[in-house]
Amino acid sequence: MKLKQFLTVAGMTLALAMPFAAQANEGGVALKHAEVDASDHEQVRRGLTVFAEVCMGCHSAKYVTYKGLMDYPEIGLSREEVDELRGDKPLTAGMITDLSPEDATVSYGKVPPDLSLIVNARRGGANYVYSILTGFESDPDGKIPDGNYNEYFPGHRIAMPDPLGWLDHDEADTAELEQQAEDVAAFLTFIGDPHQNERHTIGKYVMIFLILLTIVLYLLKKEVWKDVKH
Amino acid sequence: MLEKMMKSKLFGWVDERTGAEAIIKSQLTEYQVPKNLNYMWNFGSLALLVLVLQILTGIFLAMYYKPSAALTYGGYTVAFDSVERIMRDVNFGWLIRYMHAVGASAFFVVVYMHIARGMYYGSFKGPRELLWIIGVVILLIMQGAAFFGYLLPWGQMSFWGATVITNLFGALPVIGGFLQEVLRGGFAVGDPTLNRFFSLHYLFPLLLAAIVGGHVHALHVVHSNNPSGLDVHEGKSTIPFHPYYTIKDAFGVGVFLLFYCYIVFFNPQMGGYFIEVDNYVPANNLQTPPHIAPVWYLTPWYTILRSFESKLLGVLAMGASLAILFVLPFLDKSKVRSARYRPVYRQMVFLFFITVIVLGYCGHSAPTPTLKLIGQLATTYYFAFFLLLPFVHKFEKTKPLPEEI
Repeated sequence: MKLKQFLTVAGMTLALAMPFAAQANEGGVALKHAEVDASDHEQVRRGLTVFAEVCMGCHSAKYVTYKGLMDYPEIGLSREEVDELRGDKPLTAGMITDLSPEDATVSYGKVPPDLSLIVNARRGGANYVYSILTGFESDPDGKIPDGNYNEYFPGHRIAMPDPLGWLDHDEADTAELEQQAEDVAAFLTFIGDPHQNERHTIGKYVMIFLILLTIVLYLLKKEVWKDVKH
Repeated sequence: MLEKMMKSKLFGWVDERTGAEAIIKSQLTEYQVPKNLNYMWNFGSLALLVLVLQILTGIFLAMYYKPSAALTYGGYTVAFDSVERIMRDVNFGWLIRYMHAVGASAFFVVVYMHIARGMYYGSFKGPRELLWIIGVVILLIMQGAAFFGYLLPWGQMSFWGATVITNLFGALPVIGGFLQEVLRGGFAVGDPTLNRFFSLHYLFPLLLAAIVGGHVHALHVVHSNNPSGLDVHEGKSTIPFHPYYTIKDAFGVGVFLLFYCYIVFFNPQMGGYFIEVDNYVPANNLQTPPHIAPVWYLTPWYTILRSFESKLLGVLAMGASLAILFVLPFLDKSKVRSARYRPVYRQMVFLFFITVIVLGYCGHSAPTPTLKLIGQLATTYYFAFFLLLPFVHKFEKTKPLPEEI
């Protein structure tokens, strides 16, 4: 009886929560789906390359240190690779772009956001990043100049010029550009929460332990209560 | 095991000096509890568990957290950086912080269930009025603590949430402006606000711990209610708290931890409900986020606030919606406690629970005219529920109560 009531209430709560999930992506346009796996060593490494060669021209990831690129097992660069990447910056420095905020403001009208937490900070996460990178089109209304029109950006007018060269790319390059966009989305997903893979691994053991513990406690409860008449 | 321990020489020594044996007997092994409590009665002990978890994780977080809004590279602040340092560089800092952030939401889930149980089974009715009132005080302090805590990461939602809520106090006549300035430590939310909120965020849980002690003490004086609502304090309808309810509570803890740890380890942001998406963006006082909403556990009251055109009326209504909880025991005049035997009240209280969920939904969503109307209707019923209560017993035909449980 009580259980039934509880289930009814729980069901109603869930039903009410459904529209929340549906409206998670505000702004109208449905995002493209990106195949992203932050525990895929290869993909995260490829993403780092795209990030270092393309994104870091303007964007920083200040919470990711060069030392971190060696220490995180998901990336695991060698000392030589890191030395090449960092130039004369200290090992403990964050990945900070050489573009100064002042120059960025002159060129693009604003300072490009730090990308350390971009996947956590945008609705849609990795899908959002992927969609933006592969969303440069010509404005159907012809108002926004090419390179500043993005199908997935709220309001469509984006300050970031098409970084992967998606607009007007050759048909033959589509797969490769999409791959680059997915890879960098995977890298950004990883650095958004660099302990996520460790967390998932530990979590599995925690859940197994708790299931066993709860079963034991339930049996113990039954044993203690067996003489109580209802 | 407990009995064996109590016979030891060491325990005897301690007992002579503290009266520990008498306490253990009166509060645990000989504290009589109705035998028919269902699993809805588990949420009290779970709330205590979460409070302890929050205090413990909070102490460790405070060792690394720095309450400063001083700017660092890239528009971030010392406070935001220190949170990210906990997440990335402190050993198992991510675990402690996710436990704390998820714990805040878990605390409210558990406490709202606890309150709903008290309302359904009439646990607030005499002689437990004061027990209920202490509980409402706990709820208010919890909401305060949660609100102060949400400012600390100094993200966009932290900043704008604090701006909106402290603004409310400014709407009060005469003292409003003064109160708002005292809360903010200045004319706008800024570094002084962050510092005093951190101080209060550390103070409030200590207050909670003390008042929870009072809540448990008050409970042990008047004893537990039970699903039938009958007065049962002794005899064959009761069983000692230990070992019966200690083991039942322990089983409840196991089930709770399954849910809690699943979220902590596999979905700590809970799709933006437990840690909001916008709070990963550093606070920026020049850029208002497109849609400001408090965290889910405060949204029902936020909807009540938004349901009024006049800001002052909204603030007063929101205050009233919480204050009216204090007088609930005196509004309900029925002699029967449990909703099981009160057909009218049962419908009313279920509708009330649904109303609170609807209010929460409206408060979380971006405002539209339809949602506003739904919110206003829900607000109306929220108050109607309390205002109708004094009259329900006059026409409600209660079902016959059982002789014993």
